[in-house]
Amino acid sequence: MSGKHIAYALLLSIAGLVLQSTLFGESRINPFGAAPNVVLVLVVICAAYLEPEPTLLVAFTSGLLMDLLGGSTIGLWAIALVVAAYVTLRVRDRIDDGVVVVAAGLIALSVLGHAIFAIASTLFGEQVFADPGWYRLIVLPSLYNLVVAVILIPMVSRVMGGRQVRRLV
Amino acid sequence: MQSFRRFDRSTSLFIGLLIVSFLTATVDVRSQGAGIGDTLRDGTQSLFSPLQQAASVVTRPVVGFVDGISNIAGLTDENERLRDRVRELESQVQEVAGLQNRLEELERINGLDPPGDVAAVTAHIFSVGLSPFDHIRWINRGSEDGVVVGHTVVDEDGLVGRVDFVHATTARVRLITDTRNGVGVRDLDTNETGVIEGQGTGPLRLRMFTAAEPIEEGHLIVTEGGRYAPGVVVGNVAATAEAEAGFSLIAEVTPAVDFGRIDFVKVLVGWLPSEFTGPVEPGDPVPEAPEPFQGS
Repeated sequence: MSGKHIAYALLLSIAGLVLQSTLFGESRINPFGAAPNVVLVLVVICAAYLEPEPTLLVAFTSGLLMDLLGGSTIGLWAIALVVAAYVTLRVRDRIDDGVVVVAAGLIALSVLGHAIFAIASTLFGEQVFADPGWYRLIVLPSLYNLVVAVILIPMVSRVMGGRQVRRLV
Repeated sequence: MQSFRRFDRSTSLFIGLLIVSFLTATVDVRSQGAGIGDTLRDGTQSLFSPLQQAASVVTRPVVGFVDGISNIAGLTDENERLRDRVRELESQVQEVAGLQNRLEELERINGLDPPGDVAAVTAHIFSVGLSPFDHIRWINRGSEDGVVVGHTVVDEDGLVGRVDFVHATTARVRLITDTRNGVGVRDLDTNETGVIEGQGTGPLRLRMFTAAEPIEEGHLIVTEGGRYAPGVVVGNVAATAEAEAGFSLIAEVTPAVDFGRIDFVKVLVGWLPSEFTGPVEPGDPVPEAPEPFQGS
């Protein structure tokens, strides 16, 4: 892995942010009132190609940018994405266990990321749980993330040169 | 051994980044969106808004196409019989219809008269919230167009939200559905006042603390003034409700605006909220005794 791969991961994340804010969400593609979280998916996929420290830094930077471009308190998405990236690093050896495990893992990581964000938001005074559909906003994007991942995995693989770091070396 | 050290390093970095994130969030909350947080947002917006506006132009046809497809999906039985060519043509028609709707919306929004002849600028929404918890919109008008924090934002149906962050060429609008937003309102039928609170994806919640009489389904709720321009339609009472002794009256209100459809909005730049402390241009009209404001 080189600095080039870290730069690629950051560029992918920025592209994901732009796509997320213009293509998905309310007034955009938003089936059943929810949309995928492209940046979260990209962070999780990139964790399979990067070393642990760069993965965490890419997750932190992506989360910070999400906070700055979104409407939430700065730092909340950074927390959520760093946690999701860290858990991904801990479990990425299981990539070899097959498609079902990877799919279930991606959904679980997405749920975790959104749940962490919702809890951190509540700690900082944002009334996320006042929304009667809060559970839907956590579960549905996680399912959509799986669909988005099917499209993004080959793309990221091509950009990163197809070399996965599967173990904590 | 090397693996253990690497594990240690990544865990240390993980904990360090969490601490930095929590500190950043604390500083941002304490500074109430101003200070370093505001500067960072401003800088990030400067970098990203050209990208987002360009991407918005590219992704709009895709959104229109998907919108068209989802509308067609409701007519499954009929559509099953359609051939590929017909489907292609229909999606093209949907795209044209979408463009026509946008044009009509733009014409309507340019034709509407804000309350009390308040000066307004038309803005296009080029970006939405990045997560399902974000009830915001980014518009392509900013301080260079006279937009300041606190300005009321409306569309042809009624109240959309309030500007809560301004950049030179863009601004962020926090929708009235956001759980952090509170809107002082009045029931036009009973003349009772109360507060509308956002519930995210749910209906708006109306609280009336001194309501003497019940409010009926269908009553029109308009803004009271203060933080929002007065007399703007917020929505209609969804179900009849009355206050129980010692408690405030709570009712649900269906917003007048379809937040899933807004594309263009108007920022009432001629009206300033009561808490605004910035410079006021002489001659800025402030409405008095407004009529209920809804799109013409």
